[in-house]
Amino acid sequence: MNISMNELKAALRRCFEASQYFVGNYEDAANMILWLEKHGLNGLGELQRGLPYIDEDREKALSSVIYEDSTSAIIDSHGRSALNCIAASVDLAHAKALENGIATVTVHNCHNRKFILKALTDRGRCGISVAAYWQNGSGPVTEHAAAIKAGERYPSYSEATTDLPASTDDKQALTIICSSRVDLAVSLQASKGNRNARHISAEQVEKNKQQSVESGIEIAPDLWDEINRIGAGVLVENSELSRQGAGGR
Amino acid sequence: MTTTTAIQASMRGEHALPLRPPSQVMDLERLGAMHQSRLSFMRTLIRRIMRERWAIEPIKFELDADGYGTVIYEVQAPNGLYSFVLFSDYLSPEERNDRVIATKWDLTMALVEGRVEADYLEQLRQNVPKQEAGRVDARVFVLSRANRSARNFDYVVEQLANGQQPDIERIKNVGYLYRTTAVYGSGKLGMADWEKVRTKHLDFARPFAGEMFVCLMLRNFSLLQAEHIARHRSPQRFQPMQDEIKRYFGIGNSTGLGMAPYLVNHPLLINQWVEMRELALARIRALGCVNSRVQQELSSLIERCAQHTRDTVTEDDWQTDNNRQVLEDLAALQQHTAAGFDNWDALLGWSEANCSLQGQEMLVSIALEIYPELVDELEDFHSAEENLDLDPLMPLQELKQIIETRYAWALEIDFTAEGARETCWYRSEEKMEPRLGSVADAEAKQKQMALGVGYAVSKCYEQLCGYIAEHPEHTTARFMVARPKMRGIVRRIQSMSRCVYGDIQANLLDRNILPMHLLRCKLAFFGVGKFDPRSRLWVRNTMFQGAPLLEDIGKPFSDDWFMPLAPLQSGQH
Repeated sequence: MNISMNELKAALRRCFEASQYFVGNYEDAANMILWLEKHGLNGLGELQRGLPYIDEDREKALSSVIYEDSTSAIIDSHGRSALNCIAASVDLAHAKALENGIATVTVHNCHNRKFILKALTDRGRCGISVAAYWQNGSGPVTEHAAAIKAGERYPSYSEATTDLPASTDDKQALTIICSSRVDLAVSLQASKGNRNARHISAEQVEKNKQQSVESGIEIAPDLWDEINRIGAGVLVENSELSRQGAGGR
Repeated sequence: MTTTTAIQASMRGEHALPLRPPSQVMDLERLGAMHQSRLSFMRTLIRRIMRERWAIEPIKFELDADGYGTVIYEVQAPNGLYSFVLFSDYLSPEERNDRVIATKWDLTMALVEGRVEADYLEQLRQNVPKQEAGRVDARVFVLSRANRSARNFDYVVEQLANGQQPDIERIKNVGYLYRTTAVYGSGKLGMADWEKVRTKHLDFARPFAGEMFVCLMLRNFSLLQAEHIARHRSPQRFQPMQDEIKRYFGIGNSTGLGMAPYLVNHPLLINQWVEMRELALARIRALGCVNSRVQQELSSLIERCAQHTRDTVTEDDWQTDNNRQVLEDLAALQQHTAAGFDNWDALLGWSEANCSLQGQEMLVSIALEIYPELVDELEDFHSAEENLDLDPLMPLQELKQIIETRYAWALEIDFTAEGARETCWYRSEEKMEPRLGSVADAEAKQKQMALGVGYAVSKCYEQLCGYIAEHPEHTTARFMVARPKMRGIVRRIQSMSRCVYGDIQANLLDRNILPMHLLRCKLAFFGVGKFDPRSRLWVRNTMFQGAPLLEDIGKPFSDDWFMPLAPLQSGQH
């Protein structure tokens, strides 16, 4: 079925609000998913994979900084979804880069890392360049890279399937490089063993957006129903008293 | 023609114009005292239509003798062709309900890009009358519905069928034939997103321009339909309505709580609207030449506003008292300026010392009316990019200082006082209608919307002070990693501090909060008149009263329908 971007955003906000995301975080989460989908990068597919787990994060510890110096930091996200923690990590990289020219932040134990693209884009719009790299899965391992130049509105994104062996630790790691001095661009090397490589340029990302703006977004009815089912958790049961409270005659 | 840069220079820095301070302007009671002005969206839409001479023609007019059927107008504007599609259906009196929760209406309408072909019309017919229960696609960008003001409609039809004109005294009481009960845009129900309207449909690329246009078309149709039914009822005796009486008919509107969360959830946009209105006033204060023409015009507008206020009918005691106070203010203003006045700064200062808030804001609207050359060009600057961006590098001491200066109003509120957090705003499962409740209702409290900006700021300040004591050298980014729950409010504080006016200064959680102020503020930006509160939570009002008719497009246009007055009926002097 076809829905508008605003409908998707509003439904996702309710969904994450009902899942106990904090004020600010539920807007971020909704915007991250919408951004990917709107720009042709399968945000709804990513969401569908993460949806069964979204209310587990409320039990997990908040992200913590386990190492920090002037140009780098390591953050442990304790198995959280990027939807509720990655923006703060990108912000920290941004702040350090502004102070020192370039900075690196590594995030451990973070799921759904593709959602970082919206956070990268926000930083690009604010005049800083950011790149991110992560690997995912175990059989096979895929690798992903995204980057945006300072002042740009759209990032590029690359992904490929590798023949790398699965790592036993840090499976959910992500590295963010941020610079106020250097425009960062990334593309995965055509190394031996990489296959199904796909590079989506910033120009293509922009074109994908134009299509979504023109026609809205296609979503599977089951997924749409599920988002709304979870989001109904923020709605208050109707009563005659509340009907009157809204201003009835 | 001004530019964004010139506007910025007028608002900040050495060459800034004398703007009223945020503490004065963003006070909720003052925002709720605002009136329509020449920057209101209905006025700016009409100016555009008249100046660009939009061609608006019915290409399908299939109504039966009782006025039921389908009508399509094609709208040729400079940047595109649009269709206004309307379905008129029978509605029994017991089904007629103005609330959002209604499921059937007299009229349902859609504004659509391009020409509507037969198969697409059928698709619209299957969905538009259902409103929230239907789905449309991204060709549609406004959807609305309206109910008859049954007594007025039947009376007008009867009069016209008998060859008589409606009695003006009666129209003064209810100045419309239909009330619109919801106007949807911005992607609701599958419609085009605002991003598409803003970038593709340039004729409607100002906030709420499409929504206002649909209300204007509804007003036009309501008159046409009344004449159509009267003509069929009595072809021999029927007389069309006189144009000056037609112009005095607006369109009714019922507005409830739904608008209140909008104001809180779109702070950058609301700030932009306020900035333009205040910049217009500051321009007049500094540059508005006062001569005999201006003095005469002021006097005449004061009298017009007084008469308009006298003609405003409401059963609400609070509004009646407000209107009485405005009349006293206008009389005092007329007397004060009878011997002339020198400059606007002094006159506005006098009003602040001697008039009610509603009276003061009436003078602001009058001042704007007199200087189109200083005001009208600002109509092109009412949009805003609505990104609440975090400034990660901001030192925490600076963040603290911003809260202490820009949100002093929030820090002054004692949220532990009885009743200070008693109100909660929530969404009902019934069409997600926003409602107001008490924290005594556990479910409403738990599921309340985050509209208590002042309270959130005060909590943030508390946490920030504690954090700074431990980490005085940290940046906002580091604070955000440690206190992620504060992310939303910190981003808002930083973003709004970059604006001239910032957030609305009120505790929306207070037991005594008056949502009416929020509704009225937004409605004043829209340009409605004749406020008639029906309770603490919803208000009836009139849109487009006095506006030109579609038949007036292409004829000389004076843009003078501010605070419209009733026309003189034949035989009156």
